[in-house]
Amino acid sequence: MKVFKRLITFLVYAFLYAPLIIMVFFSFNSGRSTMVFEGFSLKWYETLFSNNVLMECLQNSLILAVASSVIATILGTLAAVGVYKLKNKYVSGAIMSVNNIPMMNPDIVTGVSLMLLFVFVGTFLGLTEKTNFWTLLIAHITFNIPYVLLNVLPKLKQTDKNLVEAAMDLGCTPNQAFFKVVMPQINPGIMSGLLMAFTLSFDDFVISYYTSGTDFRTLPLYVYDIVKKPVKPNIYALYSIIFILILVVLIVNNFVLNAPSKKESSGRVKKIVSGALAVIILVVGIFVFKGCENDQSVDGLQAEYSKEFEGTTLNVYNWGEYISDGTDESLDVITAFEQLTGIDVNYITYESNEVMYSKLKSGADSYDVVIPSDYMIQRLKNEGMLKKLDFSQISNYKNIDVRYKNLYFDENNEYTVPYSVGMVGLIYNTTMVKEKPTSWNVMWDERYTGDILTFNNSRDAFAIAQKVLGQSFNTENKADWDAAADLLKKQTPVLQGRVMDQVFEKMEGGNAAMAPYYVGDFLIMREENEDLDFVFPEEGVNVFVDSMCVPSCAKNYDAAMMFINFMLEPEVALANAEYIGYASPNVEVVNHPDYCYKDDEYLYPAEEDMPEVEYFYDLPPETRNYYEKLWVEITSK
Amino acid sequence: MMNKERSVKTTLLNAPYVVWSVIFIIIPLLMVAYYTFTANVEYYDISFTAPDGTTYSYEIDGATVNNIDDAKEKALEKAGVDSDSVVFDNASAESRTEFTTEYFSEIFSKDIARAFGRSFLYSLIATALSLVLAYPFAYVLSRSSVKSQKMQMMLIMLPMWMSMLVRTYSWMNILEKNGLINNFFGLIGLEPVEMLGTPGAVILGMVYNYLPYMILPIYTVMSKIEPSLHEAAEDLGCNWLQKFRRLILPLSVPGIISGIIMVFVPSISTFYISQKMSNGKIVLIGDLIEARIKNNYADGGINVGAAMSLVLMIVIFICTIIMNKFSDDDGGNIAI
Repeated sequence: MKVFKRLITFLVYAFLYAPLIIMVFFSFNSGRSTMVFEGFSLKWYETLFSNNVLMECLQNSLILAVASSVIATILGTLAAVGVYKLKNKYVSGAIMSVNNIPMMNPDIVTGVSLMLLFVFVGTFLGLTEKTNFWTLLIAHITFNIPYVLLNVLPKLKQTDKNLVEAAMDLGCTPNQAFFKVVMPQINPGIMSGLLMAFTLSFDDFVISYYTSGTDFRTLPLYVYDIVKKPVKPNIYALYSIIFILILVVLIVNNFVLNAPSKKESSGRVKKIVSGALAVIILVVGIFVFKGCENDQSVDGLQAEYSKEFEGTTLNVYNWGEYISDGTDESLDVITAFEQLTGIDVNYITYESNEVMYSKLKSGADSYDVVIPSDYMIQRLKNEGMLKKLDFSQISNYKNIDVRYKNLYFDENNEYTVPYSVGMVGLIYNTTMVKEKPTSWNVMWDERYTGDILTFNNSRDAFAIAQKVLGQSFNTENKADWDAAADLLKKQTPVLQGRVMDQVFEKMEGGNAAMAPYYVGDFLIMREENEDLDFVFPEEGVNVFVDSMCVPSCAKNYDAAMMFINFMLEPEVALANAEYIGYASPNVEVVNHPDYCYKDDEYLYPAEEDMPEVEYFYDLPPETRNYYEKLWVEITSK
Repeated sequence: MMNKERSVKTTLLNAPYVVWSVIFIIIPLLMVAYYTFTANVEYYDISFTAPDGTTYSYEIDGATVNNIDDAKEKALEKAGVDSDSVVFDNASAESRTEFTTEYFSEIFSKDIARAFGRSFLYSLIATALSLVLAYPFAYVLSRSSVKSQKMQMMLIMLPMWMSMLVRTYSWMNILEKNGLINNFFGLIGLEPVEMLGTPGAVILGMVYNYLPYMILPIYTVMSKIEPSLHEAAEDLGCNWLQKFRRLILPLSVPGIISGIIMVFVPSISTFYISQKMSNGKIVLIGDLIEARIKNNYADGGINVGAAMSLVLMIVIFICTIIMNKFSDDDGGNIAI
């Protein structure tokens, strides 16, 4: 029996803590991988505090968790007292049933339903002010209250009514009786409700995912946004700090508890725990504060930057992990711009063009600079959602290579400034794939069953099948899409999986033999694993250009011009190009003597090695809906 | 008089929460139904006069064209008129909200139904496994010293502080083809096993993430069982099995019910866990909702997402009602 007790306790703890231990372990990795341990290093901890975006998300998460749990606790406790005093059974029954809804409802439904409400109210009232913090706060309070109520109500039911009457007999007013007699008894319930609410709020991802806008990102949302790029150990480092802090507090707590006599301890636990929480928040808060004091300056500026917009907030909306952020002694571009101009940059990330589009379309927020891809720019332009740029304020536009001017989505160079260029190709592991592949057909080869990866993104995955079939990516013919879908269905048995950010771990760790991905990312992967090689399949590949543009809802037009101009500065563009790893449309970067990818054969193929390329175009809604439905068919087999 | 004042006070105490629940719980659910059965349809009203004097007027479905210029072209095409010589009298975009059952009926397609079934099955297995792990653990916990109980409660809640996303990522490191477990297998001379990407991995992810939700309510009811009851049962000659069947199990039913609901509900609707642990190969209903809302939000995705949410909610409410039939408790055991 004793053995069994120990065994089950050990099993549960081992299970609960194994991944956390792995997390702490890899936070000390000197490499970039979260899977291959290359040596001990503290560098992820060092870079952590200079990563402003990450720190801001942490700050946001803490603010949100504290605010929502405190408000939910007040509302929930009031409601509990109210329900407890209700004489009418049906009314209290009804309240409790409604109270159960957020708990019984899946997070995704709660999230979606609140999102629909916010969207509806937002469009109805024509809200343009930033509401993201408030929508998140409302959502978090809503799912927190039920837990508070359910923690407080049982404690209320346990209180002895005679005590209240005794207090009133002794001359207490009802209010005094409540605060002096009832409160101390329900306090543990309130405290555990508060703690639970804080925990749920701090870790919530799903509901936040649907109810957040973009100017207020929490930590889990930050982690989720990193879709195209690898998740780095800095996130492990951050959570390791949180983990160790709480663990230390717990252990200290336990020792403190050993001292006093046992009977008092219960109330004390709560007090100490809540005190400990305060300490944790404070310590982390200090770190957050510390993170802002890095000095960043840019050499060789080509344009003049005034401080005339000092104090304004510029909303920049970009892909996750798509700007040099100070990691590994790179330039922290955002901080550098802020220090130079005094403009406060609110840097927000998205995980896909479509997500960005729906945020813009919903009109709930205003953005000053967005960096979408070509086909999405075409769509935004068609729908009148972009402003023309004032090129007289963008003197560094001269740095853009002529090959990236007059592109199809902006034929007269009015709306966009190219930021980053990429091509898709096939990454493969030479130890697993013996002969160099030349065709996309290899992704259907049964010899590599279980070792083939593809995009977990409908249009990119379709693109490969479309090239195998000799189609255009931009066909509006349903029969073409059907044929491509059939081909993709045939691929399912040989696939190891459909992935995006995971592709880095997969390919670097030798977990898969081949994966289509962006050429720039191949270079990043090759640094970790020399067995990897890359090929542009002969049928043709997708090329994309992500460009900076200003949406029509922008409020700080001139500051946006200044930002775009700054992004074209040679040193800035160089830092970004080296950080992102994609090809740069900036000639100053391409010719820069220190550029680490200078003349790279994959990133900048010579004229004769240039593969067949095709852009994605914006497709009519009917076609989009059609292939999305096919995609459901393919993936849910 | 006194009584009336009291009831006014009680009403005042309840008022904030009741108002809050109506606005942020009830109305959003009605919104889900609203979006399920309505479509926002865009039209282009195009009318023009041909050189011969005839006027044409067309309503072009916004789903078939990209913008107003395309719509004009389409209208000309329909009329069979040459584009050079016409005068457009009117070209404007309009949107209307229409009742439709198109989205609702879409979810009864084979694929979505299959995803529903799969979600149901996996979360059922995950719930059962959680129960098997949590039940004996909660029992052992409830019988340990008060000090140790407090400490362990915190230890169980601690992993919930770490982002679910990060913890899932960490599991991927463990289960990956060249991950920790397979590396270990390699060391002791075993063949590597494919773990990530299998249904087992998805279920493991569910059990891992939601196990604390099973432990906490079961532990709560078990800790309320007086030690004297255990002694009484033993004094009356119950053996271990009898004590379990007659005393512990019946008294812990409410906790089990709460635990089952609290594990089953998030499991059936998850999307991140299935996405990551299955290498994107196993698509659950949560994944479909997420994908449709994300990928074609503006053109029907949000409506299909709402429709799937609606059905998911109904399924869960039915399950909850059935579960609650086994327990006469008011659900208060979710509290710690």
